[in-house]
Amino acid sequence: MTAMIEARHLTKQVATSEGQLIILNDISLRIEAAEAVAIVGVSGSGKSTLLGLMAGLDSASAGDMFLDGQNLSTMDEEERAQLRGRSVGFVFQSFQLLPSLTALENVMLPIELKNDKDARRKAASLLQRVGLESRLQHYPNQLSGGEQQRVAIARAFASEAKILFADEPTGNLDAATGAKVIDLLFSLNAEFGTTLVLVTHDDRLAQRCGRLVRLVAGEITEDSAVETSGVENGTAGEASTAGDAAHV
Amino acid sequence: MSDYSPATTASPVTLMRVALRLLWRDWRGGELRLLLLAMVMAVTSVSGIALFTDRLERALLQESATMLAADRVLSGRQMPPREWLDEATQRGLMTAEVQAFASMVFSDQANLLVAAKAVSEAYPLRGELRVADQPFGAAYADNAGPARGEVWVESRVLPSLGLEMGDTLYLGDGEFVVSRVLVQEPDRQQGGMMDNAGPRVLMNLDDVPSTNVIQPGSRVTYRYLFAGELAELDVYADWVREQSAGDFRLRDVRDESQEVSDALARGESFLLLGSLFAVLLAGIAIALTARRYSERHFDYAAILKTLGCTSNQISAIYFGILLSLLLIAVVVGSVLGWLVHEGILLLLQSVIPIALPEASFTPFWLGALTAFICLFAFAMPPLLALKHTSPLRVLRKDLADAPLSTSLPYIFGIAGALVLILWYSQDVLISIILVGSVAGVALVLSAMSYLLLRTGSAAGMRAGSAWMLAMSAVRRRRRQSVLQVLVFSLTIMSLLTLALLRTDLINDWQAQLPEDTPNHFMMNISSNQIAGMQSFLQENEVDTNPFYPMVAAGLLTVNGAPAPHPWDNDDDASGRTTMTERAGAEQPDDAASGSDTGESERPQRVENRQVTWTAQLPPDNEVVAGNWWGEDNRPGLVSVERDYAERIGVTLGDELVFRVNEQEITAVVDNMRTVRWDNMQPNFFFIFSPGTLDHLGATYLSTLLLQGEEKLLLNDLLRQFPTIVVLEVDALIEQIQSIIAQVSSAIELIAALVLVAGALVLLSCVNATLDERFRENAILRTLGAGRKLIMTSLLIEFAFIGLLAGVIATLGAELSLYYLQSEVFQQTFSLHYWVWIAGPLAGTVIIAALGFAATRKVVSSSPLSVLRQLSA
Repeated sequence: MTAMIEARHLTKQVATSEGQLIILNDISLRIEAAEAVAIVGVSGSGKSTLLGLMAGLDSASAGDMFLDGQNLSTMDEEERAQLRGRSVGFVFQSFQLLPSLTALENVMLPIELKNDKDARRKAASLLQRVGLESRLQHYPNQLSGGEQQRVAIARAFASEAKILFADEPTGNLDAATGAKVIDLLFSLNAEFGTTLVLVTHDDRLAQRCGRLVRLVAGEITEDSAVETSGVENGTAGEASTAGDAAHV
Repeated sequence: MSDYSPATTASPVTLMRVALRLLWRDWRGGELRLLLLAMVMAVTSVSGIALFTDRLERALLQESATMLAADRVLSGRQMPPREWLDEATQRGLMTAEVQAFASMVFSDQANLLVAAKAVSEAYPLRGELRVADQPFGAAYADNAGPARGEVWVESRVLPSLGLEMGDTLYLGDGEFVVSRVLVQEPDRQQGGMMDNAGPRVLMNLDDVPSTNVIQPGSRVTYRYLFAGELAELDVYADWVREQSAGDFRLRDVRDESQEVSDALARGESFLLLGSLFAVLLAGIAIALTARRYSERHFDYAAILKTLGCTSNQISAIYFGILLSLLLIAVVVGSVLGWLVHEGILLLLQSVIPIALPEASFTPFWLGALTAFICLFAFAMPPLLALKHTSPLRVLRKDLADAPLSTSLPYIFGIAGALVLILWYSQDVLISIILVGSVAGVALVLSAMSYLLLRTGSAAGMRAGSAWMLAMSAVRRRRRQSVLQVLVFSLTIMSLLTLALLRTDLINDWQAQLPEDTPNHFMMNISSNQIAGMQSFLQENEVDTNPFYPMVAAGLLTVNGAPAPHPWDNDDDASGRTTMTERAGAEQPDDAASGSDTGESERPQRVENRQVTWTAQLPPDNEVVAGNWWGEDNRPGLVSVERDYAERIGVTLGDELVFRVNEQEITAVVDNMRTVRWDNMQPNFFFIFSPGTLDHLGATYLSTLLLQGEEKLLLNDLLRQFPTIVVLEVDALIEQIQSIIAQVSSAIELIAALVLVAGALVLLSCVNATLDERFRENAILRTLGAGRKLIMTSLLIEFAFIGLLAGVIATLGAELSLYYLQSEVFQQTFSLHYWVWIAGPLAGTVIIAALGFAATRKVVSSSPLSVLRQLSA
């Protein structure tokens, strides 16, 4: 069976004034469909770079990167963009909503880019799903951080992506709000059967994934299954609903 | 490349929908307002100015056409084939016919040499005949022309012949009733000898045969007049040229009146330059605002890429945004342009007394096309750079604005500017001057900014002072500071150049025909009449002017060789006639000289010119080679007008032989002069030293300034001196003054429009650094810097940049003025000392005020909200 994500001997290095700096060194990793994988590590360990390479946002210096059966290394940026549009969703630490568009329009965007005429209804339904049905016409700067992240989550699932990349999704949120957002993320992930790759430096958050990959100085030092996912941090867990999240 | 097959991608319609949504939201957010404003400004100024000049030019041409009584004139000593008139009528042109000849007229008591003019019924095709019921009485328009059996005569004919209105006048075998006093005919100044032989008698063309005055060999000037659509006239002119193998040529007012033609040409050049400046400034504003807009959209592009947008789709989205903006700008700008030009017309109602022709659609196309070029050259490059945004930016914000630092936008901008300049000016010279001065400014700027950054750090006083803060800000934003100084100095330079050019041009015109320009020529004065005339004028408190002796001279040889004909190598077959000659007793006149030379050898064409002699250099003449002979003159010297000398290939020391009154006179070229031809005063190609021609029987010429009631003096003057000829040019001078006044008003307005464009640029430029200032100052304030300190430092920073820009702009303005005035406007350049103080001062004050006003909210908004907003 083809892996949803597969890295083979992936290396990323950049030129600096003091010579070549190796950010990722010979990374090989295989993630199956519907898996939830946490990539953890301290700042500068290369986890965001790895996420960028896996999502096709950047290209590797060496090695091959397969996403949804396609070899990213042989694609140009245009093809990678199309693949992203079809298969990938993102949730970012800094939300990355378009500030001049309303919540609804932000969520509509990926649906529209797929030429789906039903964008408005689908986006509204997703926003309702994340508890923001009363905030459709609000602009990002009129929303709290938690609300913005929920819009971002709705947008990530709007493209009916097979793979969801989340980069420190709670990094800009306080603990309680972060937890609620994470509950929502996991709940939708389970519902849509998406493959989830979550980058975090928070081990407790990582524990909610089925598998943990640890990066230290650009190399994988740990790749293990997590057994108690989603329970030990004691949040609302899977029970989180739209109503609960309404005022995060 | 891979074998990857793309999924369903966004259709153009979808992309356009996204583009429109972004456009609408950004508009509401205010981000696009300056960009749109700059584009609207470009369209408004171009279409407004083009509409105005289009209509004004046509109006001026139309009004000028009244000086010809037609749009085009065909004239000759022989009657041109009559079929040509029929051909013109068939082509839908209006036609009229004129015959002019000198003739004696008689009353029962006296006789008089007059300039008779017979006109067909349609005359005049343009302009109007003004008549009065009494000599020198109140004038009114009457375009019917004299009926058969009647004549209209100029006032002075009546006292000269001792006639009253209604009396009979004899011309040849004909008898005519004097039914009107002719006050003004539109084309009075157009003829030569035939029209200036004496006062005018206007008669019906159908009466000419019955007079029997025109016999074979009679000297008659035949004129066919044409009026109609411009395009049709051009086609007809070509047809005539083909028919006549170049012997006849249709002339328009530009061939006829140097003064009007110069005023129009300079006015047009200025308007053109003005609109060019306005567009270039708007272009800079567009570039700056588009750059800021795209800087703010790097994140958008990165996010769109993560959502699956390809680079091309991103380009398509922003292209869609720009195209929509263009559309809005063209519509709004065209409407505003229309309003602007209507506004100008309203303002100028009093100086534009004639009805303006309807505007053509061309100005609107011009506006739209300009906006399009501006868009592509100035706005597109930074926005298209967005497609190169790395999607990785969503993860790492420090992957900053690399795409914009490439030189591509500048290359596009410069190329666009060049296209615009060339397109507008259709003139490589103006383009080179403009581009050259811009390049010069840029060069000076680089050196200056280098110095700026060094002195800035050296002058750092104690830490924490406003000066220190300001200088470090200038240094930190080195690229931006340099760009700002560049933009500010270019803007101020444009404004200064235009303002100075405007002042010089208008002053020059006013100097050309000052209020006290003599408006009457007196000719055919014999030497023994001079004293009597002077005392008559003094008694009546009219200022007298010099009396110039005048005689017709034909140049035969130069250093023994036959003299070349001055206009032989010239399309302008009519050559230049001096005001003196137009007014004078004899038109420059090509006569075959020598005996019958046979068919095979063409007789030498000798051009007769009115010449004079004097000990004093006449006003508005300047000796450019050799020396004026002054008091210690000796006979046998001649002074030649420089351009004429060049045409006939004459240099200092050459020996010229002239034929004057059938005698040959030899003179040596002693000096050369430049002459101000457009001063409507007696001017001469050749001036001889006293004693050379004195014995050859000259008549004298002088000028008078008569205003209002003073004109009635002419009755008495002519009664006392019946042989002299008085030519009234007051109407012509007024006409030229009115045209110049109109062109001046137009120039003022264009200067104002450019000022608005300039302000827009300054505003965009200040705004371009607003984000960074917000962030920096918010940080400074959170670190405890006081509001006053930050405000003072902002003020110093802008004032410093403004001062620098002012100095450079002044330098650039003087430099480009030097070239523009000497090469394009044919003016003399002199330094404008006051500008060297006013320029830098204005730069400092305006930039400081503008910058301070725009960035004041940097200090007035709370640091927290600023930081929050900027990090969002």
